[in-house]
Amino acid sequence: MRGRRYFTRWQNILALLLLAFFAGIALAAPVLAPPEEASGNTPFQRVTDVKDYKPQPPSSTAWLGTVATSVRNMHLDVFYALVWGARSALNFGLTAALGAALLGMFIGGLGAFFSGWVQSLILRITDAFLAFPLIVGVALFDHLYFIAMQFSAVHIYFNDGLPQTIDTPLPPHPLDFVFSHVSPVWMALVLFSWMPTARLVNTLVMTVRQADYVIAAQATGVRWWRILIRHILPNTIAPIIVLTTANIGGIVLIQATLTFIGMGGESPWGEILAQGRHWIIGSYGNPLMYWWVFVPITLALVLFGIAWNLLGDGLNDWMNPRRTNHAQM
Amino acid sequence: MADYLRYLLARMLVIPVTLLIVTAVLYGFIILTPPEVRAELYLPPNLQIKSPEHYQNLINMRIKMYHLDDPYPIQYALWLKSLVQGQWGYSPTLGEDVLPSLLRRTPATLELTLYSLLFFIPLGLFSGGWAAWQQGRKVDRAFRLAAFTATSLPAFISALVLMAIFYVVLRWFPPERLSLSLSQVIYDDSWNSYTGLLTLDGLLNRRLDITLDALRHLVLPVITLSMVHWATLGRITRALMLEELQKEYIVAAKARGVPNRGLVWGHAFRNTTAPALASSALSAATLFTGVMVVEIVFGFKGVSELLLSVGGTPDAAPVLGFGVYSVLVVSLIMFGLDVAQGLLDPRIREQKEIHARA
Repeated sequence: MRGRRYFTRWQNILALLLLAFFAGIALAAPVLAPPEEASGNTPFQRVTDVKDYKPQPPSSTAWLGTVATSVRNMHLDVFYALVWGARSALNFGLTAALGAALLGMFIGGLGAFFSGWVQSLILRITDAFLAFPLIVGVALFDHLYFIAMQFSAVHIYFNDGLPQTIDTPLPPHPLDFVFSHVSPVWMALVLFSWMPTARLVNTLVMTVRQADYVIAAQATGVRWWRILIRHILPNTIAPIIVLTTANIGGIVLIQATLTFIGMGGESPWGEILAQGRHWIIGSYGNPLMYWWVFVPITLALVLFGIAWNLLGDGLNDWMNPRRTNHAQM
Repeated sequence: MADYLRYLLARMLVIPVTLLIVTAVLYGFIILTPPEVRAELYLPPNLQIKSPEHYQNLINMRIKMYHLDDPYPIQYALWLKSLVQGQWGYSPTLGEDVLPSLLRRTPATLELTLYSLLFFIPLGLFSGGWAAWQQGRKVDRAFRLAAFTATSLPAFISALVLMAIFYVVLRWFPPERLSLSLSQVIYDDSWNSYTGLLTLDGLLNRRLDITLDALRHLVLPVITLSMVHWATLGRITRALMLEELQKEYIVAAKARGVPNRGLVWGHAFRNTTAPALASSALSAATLFTGVMVVEIVFGFKGVSELLLSVGGTPDAAPVLGFGVYSVLVVSLIMFGLDVAQGLLDPRIREQKEIHARA
């Protein structure tokens, strides 16, 4: 019954359709845009031997045109970046949001579990982290990444614009181990965006703990971990899911922004916009002269953000019927 | 009044606690790097490196002097001490000390941040209140659409689109901080840099053309930066106002015959501003990140320059310095918004305990 009510709002249907679209092209990426051998482990199609420094308009070989890069005679295929970018965005957004949510749940829950001065300390630390700009975290992990690279067991060099690796006999540094699995931007996003979740969890758990059914369970001698799993978790999870869902779009926007300003992130969408930035302002006073450089990717980014925002709003209304939708938007 | 001062004092005391926690975290991460990297934090100012061996000697000396092989608490305490003494380390990449190089770039960032705050906060509060007043009508629907679009657009894309229209096509608002022809003036001997804020210095130096030109260069960055934050603040104000309008004192006022306009602006508005500003204070860190991005995209040479020039270098000092500096800036913005809340809302001034952040 509740499921049917969810589909009565067109915003919710739009959100699901958009997300199904992105998930579809992300899953079908190897079919839609088969990677070439030469691309290595980066999904971009690198179009070589283009004798023109200008972006090439859409053609039968590159469906959405190409963007020129700083490497001579080498362009990037916009369609490939769009398709593989959807995969990267979903992957990055979901894992980073989930990581931040789990960390926030752990820290917020820890605070509520201890109460007293430990709780005050944890809340104080949470508030202190709120004053920590994300870009500082990115700069910090970029620095650690750079240092780790120097002690890396694997050296990467570039040949014809493609990354090649050789092994070195050095023992691996712990930082190197961490960064061979996650990117600095991902680390920064997880470690410095858990605070809203922690505050929410803390408030929720404190409220639920005083509910009659929890007190009754405690009185009848139910073990604490059972109370946690059976009573507290089901009654606090809905707002956390809403918050996490609404965050995913923002996380991907940040990833693309950081790639655009050259601070890592490895977002294919951001990469295309960064390479094409000088063509975005167009020429001869016509901003749309090289439209394929930025219109498809921008549209993808904006729709991706809107889809997650709408989904978050819709889930909030659906799971939390007491709040009427005037408090939304 | 005494209660207000006590409230301000309590808010001010939060700043050192925040800094203590954040610096501990920052150093906790940096300690993962080898001691040679961290030795740079203590290099003397105006360093003249004579040879690689000389540099190596300096580094080794500092590892011993500052116990860089010792456990975390000792290292952290020593670093904190040098921070308080104003020694933020030397960066070979920048070729200068970190603290002066941050302070030199501060006015540009300050100018951009201040004008954005002054622009989007009143705009957000009033447009949100207006939309709530006109709930369901054309104004409200237009506001909701605009706010939704503004929050969905990435700042760097709106920046580029705005530049394409207002700079490339119309030639109204150029990027960077000052036009080339006028940038000579501020390096001239006759120019007195009182505050570093070009718009203010222009007035103080009786050079109205500088002020106007600086303002012209500020328009696009300020709009880009304000868009997202205006939308967020406006949406929150609208929601709070709608909730406030359900309350009993409003119903009572309505029964007394107070017109709708009076209910919104006279009764409910001041009560919604404090929680709305509190939510803005919570996103002050996001604002700072936004300022950095907008500075980079518009070539507006502020503190972000430091961030870009040390990107992908082995320097620890500028990374830590930038971190401490930005947390300090964010804390100050938060404090400023707390002060504004108290000024706008009498309940905060008179209450002893305040839970605006809860």
